[in-house]
Amino acid sequence: MNLKNFYNKNYIRTTFIFLFIFQLFFLLFTMEVKADGLKKAKDTVELLLSEAKIHATETIHLDPIIRTKQIKSLIEKYINIDFMARATTGPFWKKATNLQKQSYKSALLNQIINTIEVHLNKLSNLTYKTIKTEPRGTKLIYIRGIIEDLDKVQPSVNLLWKVALNKESNYQILDLEIENISLISSHKAETTSLLRRNKGNFDILIEKLNKTK
Amino acid sequence: MNKFNYIQIFFLISLFLINGCSNNISSNVTTLDPFESLNRKVFYFNKKLDDKIINPISKSYAENIPEKARNSIGSHLEWMNLPNTIINSTLQLNVENTILTSAKFLLNGLTLGFYDLDNNETKVIKKDFGSTLAKYKVPEGPFLMVPFLGPKTTRQFSGFIVDQQNHSNMISGKVDNINLIEQPIKIIHSREKLSDTIDSIYKSSDPYIKMRSFYLQNRRSTVNSNKKNRKLELEKDYEFEKFLQ
Repeated sequence: MNLKNFYNKNYIRTTFIFLFIFQLFFLLFTMEVKADGLKKAKDTVELLLSEAKIHATETIHLDPIIRTKQIKSLIEKYINIDFMARATTGPFWKKATNLQKQSYKSALLNQIINTIEVHLNKLSNLTYKTIKTEPRGTKLIYIRGIIEDLDKVQPSVNLLWKVALNKESNYQILDLEIENISLISSHKAETTSLLRRNKGNFDILIEKLNKTK
Repeated sequence: MNKFNYIQIFFLISLFLINGCSNNISSNVTTLDPFESLNRKVFYFNKKLDDKIINPISKSYAENIPEKARNSIGSHLEWMNLPNTIINSTLQLNVENTILTSAKFLLNGLTLGFYDLDNNETKVIKKDFGSTLAKYKVPEGPFLMVPFLGPKTTRQFSGFIVDQQNHSNMISGKVDNINLIEQPIKIIHSREKLSDTIDSIYKSSDPYIKMRSFYLQNRRSTVNSNKKNRKLELEKDYEFEKFLQ
């Protein structure tokens, strides 16, 4: 029996066709899942910025404490503080106690809030545009965007957001690179240097972070 | 050859030697800072200088000079630096950048660079001798904090000296004249432009480390080839995935 006759036997042909269709469906399904993930990740970044913009204009006359509280909830929704805390302390994270971990996370959150509060009022005159979204490895998604000044006075700024699913399967931001300067990398350099000089003492790091409010 | 040239050559040779001794221990990931304690002292000297002199002047520069005039000054300073980009693009065999920069330099020469006649349409990639050295695989070398000039790698600092010499030779026969006027204006203008970033660095828990990190990340991304930058991104991705587990 030659190869053609073998293929022509009905059951072999049906199996091949079935396998081909199955593969096609599987490919389409995974492509759709990936595209859906990319869209959701892109939406996360755009929603954060639009909500921050609304927040900047609507809460300008509010009490600063209430304003800070609102920013805090915004950050907790869109930024993965847990990841940031682990990534910025590197190998020292495992050596910290649960209490130290919690204190460090809240100190980090306060630092982010302070940074955002300083720059919040500038947001109203800027526009953000997503340029490219790309999956990286199995978990990460890169979202490249650009911030432009409406008055064209300031030069445009390139941004790179790194987004991934959190434990609750929501997309959250892990890192932001502004003109190739990563917030995680620069914060990590600072914290690990402090920890190294103080023999891994987390309390000194937390105290220092709280002082730099 | 005058005394100044001898000092410059001696200085360059010492920098290359420091660079050579440092070797290239995968210098894109690790930070080579063997002179940290000395660098910290210089950093705090520069900071004091900034607090007392440069920052107050740059603030009054921002308050008293209209934004358009400041933009013109910035544009002129960039134009003055274009010949260096032309030379270094040629040395790096980047023909497109050489042609574009030359065209931009000639066009804006009509206004001495004070007004950008092509409305920033031509995107020129700034090149200095440090980037040329990087292109030819000269190692980055240790990190240096230079008095008055701020953060540099030894490679960039060697390049900076060569660039300054080229620049002065092209614009004026005398080294001192043009630098005496240009450098202070450049420092004040850059300080004003980067005021938010510099202030945020000074407010951090370890300003020296933050300054070093900002500088190195920015410098590496501009000097490295695309291939090297992609490799670095992959390394970062791997690290991120580890923390996501």
